[in-house]
Amino acid sequence: MKTSKCNLSIAGLIALVAITLALPRQLPGQTGAAKSSGGNGTSATRWSVQVGQVDPGNLDLAYSFQIAIYENLVEEFKKTKQFPQVFRDGDLKTSEVPNLLVLKTTVEKYTPGSENRRAVTTVSGATKLTVRSQLLTREGKVVLERTVNGDVRFFGSNLRATQNLARNIAKTIKQSQVSGSGQPTAILTGQL
Amino acid sequence: MNRFVVPPMPRQARRPQLRAVSRFLAVLICCGLAAPAQQITQRGNTSASFSTRATHLLGFANARNNSTGTLSVQGDSLQFQQNGKPGEKVKIALVRDVFLGAESKQVGGLPMTLGKTAAPFGGGRVVSLFAHKQYDTLTLEYVDADEGIHGAIFQLTKGQGELVRNELIARGVTISSHQDQPTKESAAGARHENK
Repeated sequence: MKTSKCNLSIAGLIALVAITLALPRQLPGQTGAAKSSGGNGTSATRWSVQVGQVDPGNLDLAYSFQIAIYENLVEEFKKTKQFPQVFRDGDLKTSEVPNLLVLKTTVEKYTPGSENRRAVTTVSGATKLTVRSQLLTREGKVVLERTVNGDVRFFGSNLRATQNLARNIAKTIKQSQVSGSGQPTAILTGQL
Repeated sequence: MNRFVVPPMPRQARRPQLRAVSRFLAVLICCGLAAPAQQITQRGNTSASFSTRATHLLGFANARNNSTGTLSVQGDSLQFQQNGKPGEKVKIALVRDVFLGAESKQVGGLPMTLGKTAAPFGGGRVVSLFAHKQYDTLTLEYVDADEGIHGAIFQLTKGQGELVRNELIARGVTISSHQDQPTKESAAGARHENK
Protein backbone atom coordinates (compact mmCIF):
# COMPACT_ATOMS: atom_id res chain seq x y z
CA MET A 1 0.00 0.00 0.00
CA LYS A 2 2.82 2.26 0.93
CA THR A 3 4.67 1.66 -2.34
CA SER A 4 1.54 2.24 -4.42
CA LYS A 5 0.96 5.57 -2.65
CA CYS A 6 4.54 6.53 -3.33
CA ASN A 7 4.18 5.54 -6.99
CA LEU A 8 1.04 7.60 -7.28
CA SER A 9 2.66 10.67 -5.84
CA ILE A 10 5.67 10.24 -8.14
CA ALA A 11 3.39 9.87 -11.13
CA GLY A 12 1.49 12.99 -10.10
CA LEU A 13 4.69 14.92 -9.74
CA ILE A 14 5.91 13.78 -13.15
CA ALA A 15 2.60 14.78 -14.69
CA LEU A 16 2.83 18.20 -13.07
CA VAL A 17 6.37 18.72 -14.32
CA ALA A 18 5.36 17.55 -17.79
CA ILE A 19 2.45 20.00 -17.87
CA THR A 20 4.62 22.84 -16.63
CA LEU A 21 7.22 22.14 -19.28
CA ALA A 22 4.70 21.63 -22.05
CA LEU A 23 2.74 24.85 -21.47
CA PRO A 24 5.52 27.33 -22.19
CA ARG A 25 6.49 25.27 -25.23
CA GLN A 26 2.96 25.46 -26.57
CA LEU A 27 2.71 29.23 -26.20
CA PRO A 28 5.72 30.04 -28.35
CA GLY A 29 4.27 27.61 -30.85
CA GLN A 30 1.02 29.52 -30.89
CA THR A 31 2.66 32.89 -31.35
CA GLY A 32 4.81 31.45 -34.06
CA ALA A 33 1.75 30.25 -35.91
CA ALA A 34 0.07 33.59 -35.43
CA LYS A 35 3.11 35.34 -36.76
CA SER A 36 3.23 33.16 -39.82
CA SER A 37 -0.49 33.42 -40.55
CA GLY A 38 -0.80 37.13 -39.78
CA GLY A 39 2.44 38.16 -41.35
CA ASN A 40 2.50 36.00 -44.49
CA GLY A 41 6.04 37.11 -45.04
CA THR A 42 5.20 40.82 -44.87
CA SER A 43 5.83 43.12 -41.94
CA ALA A 44 2.81 44.28 -39.93
CA THR A 45 1.65 47.74 -40.97
CA ARG A 46 0.08 50.34 -38.73
CA TRP A 47 -3.25 51.67 -39.96
CA SER A 48 -4.70 55.03 -39.10
CA VAL A 49 -8.28 56.10 -39.54
CA GLN A 50 -9.87 59.25 -40.90
CA VAL A 51 -13.43 59.96 -39.84
CA GLY A 52 -15.41 61.42 -42.71
CA GLN A 53 -18.34 63.77 -42.36
CA VAL A 54 -21.74 62.14 -42.06
CA ASP A 55 -23.74 61.81 -45.23
CA PRO A 56 -27.45 62.39 -44.47
CA GLY A 57 -28.52 60.75 -47.74
CA ASN A 58 -32.00 61.81 -48.73
CA LEU A 59 -33.12 62.38 -45.16
CA ASP A 60 -33.76 65.77 -43.63
CA LEU A 61 -31.54 65.05 -40.66
CA ALA A 62 -30.84 68.14 -38.57
CA TYR A 63 -27.32 69.44 -39.06
CA SER A 64 -26.74 69.32 -35.32
CA PHE A 65 -27.28 65.54 -35.50
CA GLN A 66 -24.77 65.16 -38.33
CA ILE A 67 -22.18 67.16 -36.44
CA ALA A 68 -22.92 65.29 -33.21
CA ILE A 69 -22.43 61.89 -34.90
CA TYR A 70 -19.17 63.07 -36.47
CA GLU A 71 -17.77 64.53 -33.26
CA ASN A 72 -18.82 61.53 -31.18
CA LEU A 73 -17.21 59.16 -33.69
CA VAL A 74 -13.90 61.00 -33.42
CA GLU A 75 -14.14 60.84 -29.63
CA GLU A 76 -15.08 57.16 -29.52
CA PHE A 77 -12.27 56.13 -31.88
CA LYS A 78 -9.79 58.02 -29.76
CA LYS A 79 -11.20 56.37 -26.66
CA THR A 80 -10.93 52.82 -27.99
CA LYS A 81 -7.25 53.33 -28.91
CA GLN A 82 -7.76 50.84 -31.70
CA PHE A 83 -6.00 53.00 -34.24
CA PRO A 84 -2.77 54.84 -33.43
CA GLN A 85 -3.97 58.00 -35.13
CA VAL A 86 -7.48 59.32 -35.66
CA PHE A 87 -7.83 62.09 -38.23
CA ARG A 88 -10.69 64.42 -38.96
CA ASP A 89 -12.23 65.02 -42.35
CA GLY A 90 -10.16 67.42 -44.44
CA ASP A 91 -7.03 67.03 -42.31
CA LEU A 92 -3.98 67.86 -44.43
CA LYS A 93 -1.73 65.59 -42.35
CA THR A 94 -3.40 62.51 -43.86
CA SER A 95 -1.41 63.01 -47.06
CA GLU A 96 1.71 62.03 -45.13
CA VAL A 97 0.13 58.90 -43.67
CA PRO A 98 0.87 55.82 -45.83
CA ASN A 99 -1.75 53.45 -44.41
CA LEU A 100 -5.05 55.17 -44.00
CA LEU A 101 -8.56 53.85 -43.66
CA VAL A 102 -11.45 56.25 -44.22
CA LEU A 103 -14.69 55.85 -42.28
CA LYS A 104 -17.72 56.75 -44.35
CA THR A 105 -21.06 57.03 -42.56
CA THR A 106 -24.35 57.24 -44.40
CA VAL A 107 -27.64 57.67 -42.57
CA GLU A 108 -30.17 55.10 -43.74
CA LYS A 109 -33.02 55.53 -41.32
CA TYR A 110 -33.98 58.21 -38.87
CA THR A 111 -36.93 58.30 -36.53
CA PRO A 112 -37.16 61.68 -34.84
CA GLY A 113 -38.20 61.42 -31.23
CA SER A 114 -39.23 63.77 -28.48
CA GLU A 115 -37.73 64.14 -25.05
CA ASN A 116 -41.03 65.43 -23.68
CA ARG A 117 -42.95 62.51 -25.06
CA ARG A 118 -40.46 60.08 -23.57
CA ALA A 119 -40.77 61.79 -20.21
CA VAL A 120 -44.56 61.68 -20.24
CA THR A 121 -45.26 58.29 -21.79
CA THR A 122 -41.97 56.39 -21.29
CA VAL A 123 -42.80 53.94 -24.08
CA SER A 124 -43.01 56.30 -27.04
CA GLY A 125 -40.94 59.16 -28.38
CA ALA A 126 -37.71 57.26 -28.95
CA THR A 127 -35.13 58.77 -31.28
CA LYS A 128 -33.66 56.13 -33.55
CA LEU A 129 -30.83 56.26 -36.02
CA THR A 130 -29.60 53.59 -38.43
CA VAL A 131 -26.43 54.19 -40.40
CA ARG A 132 -24.28 52.28 -42.84
CA SER A 133 -20.64 52.49 -41.83
CA GLN A 134 -17.92 51.67 -44.32
CA LEU A 135 -14.20 51.49 -43.82
CA LEU A 136 -12.44 52.19 -47.07
CA THR A 137 -8.84 52.28 -48.13
CA ARG A 138 -7.44 55.35 -49.83
CA GLU A 139 -8.12 53.69 -53.18
CA GLY A 140 -11.78 53.28 -52.32
CA LYS A 141 -11.69 49.55 -51.57
CA VAL A 142 -14.26 48.58 -48.97
CA VAL A 143 -12.58 46.87 -46.04
CA LEU A 144 -15.58 46.63 -43.77
CA GLU A 145 -19.25 47.45 -44.04
CA ARG A 146 -21.75 47.34 -41.23
CA THR A 147 -25.21 48.63 -40.47
CA VAL A 148 -25.33 50.07 -36.97
CA ASN A 149 -28.17 51.40 -34.83
CA GLY A 150 -28.24 54.03 -32.16
CA ASP A 151 -31.19 55.25 -30.15
CA VAL A 152 -32.40 56.92 -27.00
CA ARG A 153 -35.51 55.32 -25.51
CA PHE A 154 -36.09 56.53 -21.99
CA PHE A 155 -33.95 59.26 -20.48
CA GLY A 156 -31.77 61.90 -22.03
CA SER A 157 -31.87 64.35 -24.88
CA ASN A 158 -32.33 63.42 -28.52
CA LEU A 159 -28.65 64.02 -29.19
CA ARG A 160 -27.79 61.11 -26.90
CA ALA A 161 -28.83 58.83 -29.76
CA THR A 162 -25.79 60.07 -31.69
CA GLN A 163 -23.52 59.24 -28.76
CA ASN A 164 -24.91 55.72 -28.51
CA LEU A 165 -24.61 55.30 -32.27
CA ALA A 166 -20.96 56.39 -32.31
CA ARG A 167 -20.18 54.04 -29.44
CA ASN A 168 -21.84 51.16 -31.27
CA ILE A 169 -19.92 51.91 -34.48
CA ALA A 170 -16.58 52.01 -32.65
CA LYS A 171 -17.47 48.79 -30.81
CA THR A 172 -18.54 47.02 -34.00
CA ILE A 173 -15.33 47.95 -35.76
CA LYS A 174 -13.29 46.80 -32.80
CA GLN A 175 -15.08 43.46 -32.72
CA SER A 176 -14.55 43.03 -36.45
CA GLN A 177 -10.81 42.52 -35.85
CA VAL A 178 -9.99 45.72 -37.71
CA SER A 179 -7.02 47.07 -35.88
CA GLY A 180 -4.22 49.52 -36.21
CA SER A 181 -1.84 46.71 -37.12
CA GLY A 182 -2.14 43.95 -39.68
CA GLN A 183 -3.39 43.76 -43.21
CA PRO A 184 -6.82 45.20 -43.98
CA THR A 185 -7.18 42.81 -46.95
CA ALA A 186 -7.50 39.96 -44.46
CA ILE A 187 -10.50 41.72 -43.03
CA LEU A 188 -12.32 41.54 -46.34
CA THR A 189 -12.95 37.89 -45.70
CA GLY A 190 -15.01 38.82 -42.66
CA GLN A 191 -18.72 39.45 -42.59
CA LEU A 192 -19.74 42.31 -44.85
CA MET B 1 -58.15 145.72 -1.58
CA ASN B 2 -54.56 145.97 -1.23
CA ARG B 3 -53.29 143.86 -4.07
CA PHE B 4 -49.72 143.03 -4.67
CA VAL B 5 -49.16 143.17 -8.35
CA VAL B 6 -46.03 141.72 -9.81
CA PRO B 7 -44.88 143.96 -12.50
CA PRO B 8 -44.22 142.21 -15.79
CA MET B 9 -40.62 141.53 -16.53
CA PRO B 10 -39.14 143.77 -19.05
CA ARG B 11 -38.45 142.18 -22.42
CA GLN B 12 -34.76 142.85 -22.08
CA ALA B 13 -34.55 141.02 -18.76
CA ARG B 14 -36.39 137.91 -20.05
CA ARG B 15 -33.98 137.30 -22.93
CA PRO B 16 -31.09 135.75 -20.96
CA GLN B 17 -33.49 133.30 -19.31
CA LEU B 18 -34.97 132.30 -22.65
CA ARG B 19 -31.56 131.89 -24.09
CA ALA B 20 -30.50 129.61 -21.27
CA VAL B 21 -33.65 127.48 -21.68
CA SER B 22 -33.23 127.25 -25.42
CA ARG B 23 -29.58 126.32 -25.05
CA PHE B 24 -30.50 123.60 -22.56
CA LEU B 25 -33.17 122.29 -24.93
CA ALA B 26 -30.76 122.31 -27.83
CA VAL B 27 -28.23 120.32 -25.83
CA LEU B 28 -30.96 117.89 -24.79
CA ILE B 29 -32.11 117.40 -28.39
CA CYS B 30 -28.55 116.92 -29.57
CA CYS B 31 -27.94 114.30 -26.91
CA GLY B 32 -31.15 112.57 -27.83
CA LEU B 33 -30.17 112.38 -31.46
CA ALA B 34 -26.62 111.33 -30.72
CA ALA B 35 -27.50 108.43 -28.47
CA PRO B 36 -29.02 106.13 -31.12
CA ALA B 37 -26.26 107.08 -33.50
CA GLN B 38 -23.73 105.99 -30.92
CA GLN B 39 -25.59 102.71 -30.45
CA ILE B 40 -25.46 102.07 -34.16
CA THR B 41 -21.75 102.70 -34.25
CA GLN B 42 -21.26 100.29 -31.36
CA ARG B 43 -23.07 97.60 -33.27
CA GLY B 44 -21.14 98.41 -36.42
CA ASN B 45 -17.85 98.37 -34.55
CA THR B 46 -16.61 94.80 -34.96
CA SER B 47 -14.18 94.95 -32.05
CA ALA B 48 -17.01 95.43 -29.54
CA SER B 49 -17.82 92.27 -27.57
CA PHE B 50 -21.08 90.38 -27.43
CA SER B 51 -21.84 87.72 -24.87
CA THR B 52 -24.64 85.42 -23.78
CA ARG B 53 -25.18 82.49 -21.44
CA ALA B 54 -24.94 79.12 -23.17
CA THR B 55 -24.56 75.42 -22.55
CA HIS B 56 -21.78 73.77 -24.48
CA LEU B 57 -23.10 70.40 -25.63
CA LEU B 58 -20.06 69.16 -27.53
CA GLY B 59 -17.14 69.87 -29.80
CA PHE B 60 -15.94 73.39 -29.04
CA ALA B 61 -12.14 73.38 -28.70
CA ASN B 62 -11.22 71.78 -25.35
CA ALA B 63 -14.32 72.86 -23.47
CA ARG B 64 -16.04 70.24 -21.33
CA ASN B 65 -19.20 68.72 -22.77
CA ASN B 66 -22.53 69.70 -21.21
CA SER B 67 -21.00 72.63 -19.36
CA THR B 68 -22.62 75.99 -18.80
CA GLY B 69 -20.78 79.24 -19.35
CA THR B 70 -20.60 82.41 -21.35
CA LEU B 71 -20.41 82.40 -25.12
CA SER B 72 -18.92 85.64 -26.35
CA VAL B 73 -17.71 87.22 -29.52
CA GLN B 74 -14.54 89.14 -28.69
CA GLY B 75 -12.54 90.84 -31.37
CA ASP B 76 -11.68 88.25 -33.98
CA SER B 77 -12.54 85.19 -31.92
CA LEU B 78 -15.47 83.29 -30.50
CA GLN B 79 -14.95 82.37 -26.88
CA PHE B 80 -16.65 80.02 -24.49
CA GLN B 81 -15.79 80.50 -20.86
CA GLN B 82 -16.95 78.18 -18.12
CA ASN B 83 -17.54 79.68 -14.72
CA GLY B 84 -14.18 80.42 -13.15
CA LYS B 85 -12.14 78.71 -15.84
CA PRO B 86 -10.02 80.10 -18.66
CA GLY B 87 -11.97 80.50 -21.89
CA GLU B 88 -11.62 78.38 -25.00
CA LYS B 89 -11.25 80.38 -28.20
CA VAL B 90 -11.79 79.76 -31.88
CA LYS B 91 -10.96 82.38 -34.47
CA ILE B 92 -14.04 83.62 -36.29
CA ALA B 93 -12.14 83.43 -39.57
CA LEU B 94 -11.96 79.65 -39.11
CA VAL B 95 -15.73 79.30 -38.69
CA ARG B 96 -17.13 77.94 -41.93
CA ASP B 97 -20.80 77.68 -41.23
CA VAL B 98 -23.42 78.40 -38.61
CA PHE B 99 -26.72 76.55 -38.24
CA LEU B 100 -29.60 77.44 -36.05
CA GLY B 101 -32.11 74.97 -34.70
CA ALA B 102 -34.68 74.69 -31.94
CA GLU B 103 -35.46 71.94 -29.51
CA SER B 104 -37.84 71.41 -26.65
CA LYS B 105 -36.18 69.90 -23.61
CA GLN B 106 -37.12 68.84 -20.12
CA VAL B 107 -35.86 71.16 -17.41
CA GLY B 108 -34.23 70.24 -14.12
CA GLY B 109 -31.64 67.78 -15.33
CA LEU B 110 -30.90 64.53 -13.54
CA PRO B 111 -32.23 65.51 -10.07
CA MET B 112 -35.57 66.45 -11.56
CA THR B 113 -35.68 63.24 -13.62
CA LEU B 114 -35.01 61.14 -10.51
CA GLY B 115 -37.63 63.07 -8.59
CA LYS B 116 -40.20 62.54 -11.32
CA THR B 117 -39.40 58.85 -11.45
CA ALA B 118 -39.83 58.52 -7.71
CA ALA B 119 -43.11 60.45 -7.60
CA PRO B 120 -46.06 58.11 -6.85
CA PHE B 121 -49.20 57.60 -8.95
CA GLY B 122 -47.56 58.86 -12.12
CA GLY B 123 -47.17 62.32 -10.69
CA GLY B 124 -43.83 62.66 -12.42
CA ARG B 125 -45.46 62.31 -15.80
CA VAL B 126 -47.84 65.13 -15.04
CA VAL B 127 -44.91 67.30 -14.00
CA SER B 128 -43.14 66.38 -17.26
CA LEU B 129 -46.12 67.74 -19.20
CA PHE B 130 -45.29 71.23 -17.98
CA ALA B 131 -41.60 71.04 -17.10
CA HIS B 132 -40.18 71.67 -20.53
CA LYS B 133 -38.58 74.62 -22.21
CA GLN B 134 -37.80 75.63 -25.77
CA TYR B 135 -34.12 76.18 -26.55
CA ASP B 136 -32.11 77.34 -29.52
CA THR B 137 -29.31 75.12 -30.72
CA LEU B 138 -26.41 76.79 -32.42
CA THR B 139 -24.26 74.47 -34.50
CA LEU B 140 -20.89 75.70 -35.70
CA GLU B 141 -18.58 74.16 -38.24
CA TYR B 142 -14.97 75.29 -38.08
CA VAL B 143 -11.55 74.11 -39.15
CA ASP B 144 -8.33 73.72 -37.19
CA ALA B 145 -4.80 74.64 -38.25
CA ASP B 146 -4.55 71.43 -40.31
CA GLU B 147 -7.88 72.08 -42.07
CA GLY B 148 -9.51 69.29 -40.10
CA ILE B 149 -13.24 69.86 -39.73
CA HIS B 150 -14.66 70.37 -36.25
CA GLY B 151 -18.24 70.79 -35.13
CA ALA B 152 -19.59 72.42 -32.00
CA ILE B 153 -23.10 72.57 -30.59
CA PHE B 154 -24.36 75.13 -28.10
CA GLN B 155 -27.72 75.33 -26.40
CA LEU B 156 -29.01 78.84 -25.79
CA THR B 157 -32.11 80.50 -24.45
CA LYS B 158 -34.75 80.94 -27.12
CA GLY B 159 -33.96 83.95 -29.26
CA GLN B 160 -30.30 84.18 -28.29
CA GLY B 161 -29.13 81.85 -31.05
CA GLU B 162 -30.33 84.27 -33.68
CA LEU B 163 -28.36 87.08 -32.03
CA VAL B 164 -25.12 85.08 -31.95
CA ARG B 165 -25.59 84.03 -35.54
CA ASN B 166 -26.22 87.63 -36.64
CA GLU B 167 -23.15 88.75 -34.74
CA LEU B 168 -21.06 86.11 -36.52
CA ILE B 169 -22.50 87.08 -39.89
CA ALA B 170 -21.63 90.72 -39.16
CA ARG B 171 -18.07 89.60 -38.59
CA GLY B 172 -17.80 87.87 -41.92
CA VAL B 173 -18.95 84.30 -41.34
CA THR B 174 -20.66 82.93 -44.43
CA ILE B 175 -23.77 80.86 -44.01
CA SER B 176 -24.81 78.11 -46.37
CA SER B 177 -28.24 78.18 -47.96
CA HIS B 178 -29.57 75.17 -46.05
CA GLN B 179 -30.43 75.76 -42.46
CA ASP B 180 -30.75 73.44 -39.53
CA GLN B 181 -34.21 72.06 -39.12
CA PRO B 182 -35.71 71.95 -35.68
CA THR B 183 -35.94 68.41 -34.42
CA LYS B 184 -39.33 67.19 -35.46
CA GLU B 185 -41.54 65.70 -32.86
CA SER B 186 -42.52 62.16 -33.63
CA ALA B 187 -46.18 62.91 -33.01
CA ALA B 188 -47.12 61.81 -36.45
CA GLY B 189 -44.90 58.79 -36.10
CA ALA B 190 -42.96 60.02 -39.05
CA ARG B 191 -40.21 57.71 -40.09
CA HIS B 192 -37.61 58.66 -42.63
CA GLU B 193 -35.90 55.99 -44.58
CA ASN B 194 -33.08 56.29 -47.01
CA LYS B 195 -33.42 53.46 -49.47
